[in-house]
Amino acid sequence: MRDINAPANPLEMLAYILASQIHDHKVVYVGTGLPMIAGILAKKTHAPNITMVYESGGQDPLPGDMPWSVGCPFTWRKSPVVMEMAYSFAQCYNGYVDIAFLGFAQVDMYGNVNTHQIGKDLLNPTVRMTGSGGNNDLSSLAEEVVLVGLQTPEKFVKEVDFITSVGHLRGGETRKEAGLLGKGPVAVVSQCGVFDFEPVSKRMRVKSLMPGWTFDFAQLFTGFELMRPEGDIPQTEVIPEDILKLLRTEVDPRGVFTTMPTS
Amino acid sequence: MATYQYNQEALANLKIEDPSILDRLIDFESARLVHLKKERAKVDKRMSLKEAIATYVEDGDVMTDAGFAYVRTPHQAYWEIMRQDKKRLQCIGAPNTNHSFLIFNNNVDYSHNSYVGVEMRGIDRNYDRMLRAGRVKILSEWSHGGVALGLKAAQLGTPGVFSKQMLGSDILKYNPYLKVMQNPMRDDPDPVVFIPALYPDVTIIHCQLADKYGNAYIYGPTVNDLATAAAARKVIITAEEIVPESDIRNRQGTVIPFFYVDAVVELPFGAVPGNMPGYYYWSRQWWEKLIRLGCTSDENLKKFFDEWVFGVKDQFEFVDKLGGAKWIAEARIQTKAAEGDHEDIDFTYEEYTRTHDSGLYY
Repeated sequence: MRDINAPANPLEMLAYILASQIHDHKVVYVGTGLPMIAGILAKKTHAPNITMVYESGGQDPLPGDMPWSVGCPFTWRKSPVVMEMAYSFAQCYNGYVDIAFLGFAQVDMYGNVNTHQIGKDLLNPTVRMTGSGGNNDLSSLAEEVVLVGLQTPEKFVKEVDFITSVGHLRGGETRKEAGLLGKGPVAVVSQCGVFDFEPVSKRMRVKSLMPGWTFDFAQLFTGFELMRPEGDIPQTEVIPEDILKLLRTEVDPRGVFTTMPTS
Repeated sequence: MATYQYNQEALANLKIEDPSILDRLIDFESARLVHLKKERAKVDKRMSLKEAIATYVEDGDVMTDAGFAYVRTPHQAYWEIMRQDKKRLQCIGAPNTNHSFLIFNNNVDYSHNSYVGVEMRGIDRNYDRMLRAGRVKILSEWSHGGVALGLKAAQLGTPGVFSKQMLGSDILKYNPYLKVMQNPMRDDPDPVVFIPALYPDVTIIHCQLADKYGNAYIYGPTVNDLATAAAARKVIITAEEIVPESDIRNRQGTVIPFFYVDAVVELPFGAVPGNMPGYYYWSRQWWEKLIRLGCTSDENLKKFFDEWVFGVKDQFEFVDKLGGAKWIAEARIQTKAAEGDHEDIDFTYEEYTRTHDSGLYY
């Protein structure tokens, strides 16, 4: 069993930072895993009036246990309406969704996401992963996208092995020129801190760092050259004790998404 | 006979030498012809699962998955396809990845992918192995929304739709069906993706209720199933319960109309070991054992399916293996509690790990 008084682990810290990106009264599109945790945590704390939307069609469910699939009953528990999948994504296109939260296996300096494979050859990859699911749809259509994942130089790469979902493509105006909607990724959240994208080049830039982290240390965890903000780098807010307890007792009591993976 | 202009870059990247293998999925005329010839009269279409699969799933068919992940998915019908040893199927793995196991069993040779995996339980190591061993050939890559729009376009009665999804991504380089075009109504540059209407040969949809004519009622997420039912050349409905027609009329909810449907199978527990809204929860440890042990090697997977698919005659034997009446009672409470139709319960359970097998699979 988990020690509920133990210091926060990196995933719990991530969940909190992610939750803090969610503002009250917004319509929030969530994918599997940490995004679900963040949405539910935000709803239980500072953003009780958000509406959560899931790609299986569930939206605005009554609170319940942690969903184990985006199709599981907890994503459509007493929902007033359950959308067909095409209509659910269409809500992003039509401007009804404010922000989407997505995971990645690799992300590059422009926020392009790979969830397809490690290796360049689709027909014979080093490892085949999930492919898009709804990742591409949300990246293409949502007004704002926040990416979340653990950071290593192998995950934060100069160039992703496969562009599953376009972030800022090749920087500058290239996302817009490709015909995509919305602002693209506005933040990337990892155990190192929070990143944003420099407004002109659209390159990933440090926004704030977790306690104990320095720019150089974060750079060591990154496979491309990070941009540095002007002035001092602020510290990322750490999960307060009462919220950590809430996360462990009410949001993800069995630690499905917030215990560190073991072999 | 229609001829097609596929995305040439994708054909080359996917090393598809004879693109005629792609035709049937977008061959609207032949689908329309099949639909025109379907039985219009209200006739009793009930038959056994064995008969439905033997008659309506033919070698070489393009089959699309139904339900979502482990929710309302016709797993027991898929097991029957494995038992009947169908061959050379093309599978549309959207929104699920269940055809991975049919690839392993040599029923499926081709896949159209939008998602391969088991969500929080990680990547599908079996599919990964099958792909790298050359036992499955990818015919197209999609996003979930892309496939959903292709099927929806068919249901809407259109040759296809324009979308903003997948633009700029590498998915376009690996999908012969997708083409980037300029929006014909705009003067300024406005790239769009043309997604053709998709017409699978066969789909199997598991529903809560159906009448004997094929009117089929779905509760919970319908995902792509209403569109798929309208598009597919052959539709098999498996249902938890067969009810009088008046029951469906009284509900007037999300219903697949009888004249789309070729076969009706009364199949209680047809979505086991997945979740069936209103009826039973999913078998958590079963999936964990499949993913954490079964999928790790060909040998383990064979052993797993020998036990759970080929070692059982039907879904009732499967349910007996899961725990029988006790499993049924618990699984019913669990799904109702999850749906908000039962007092809240504790969802704690003993997870299956490689070092801990409780012997219980729910």
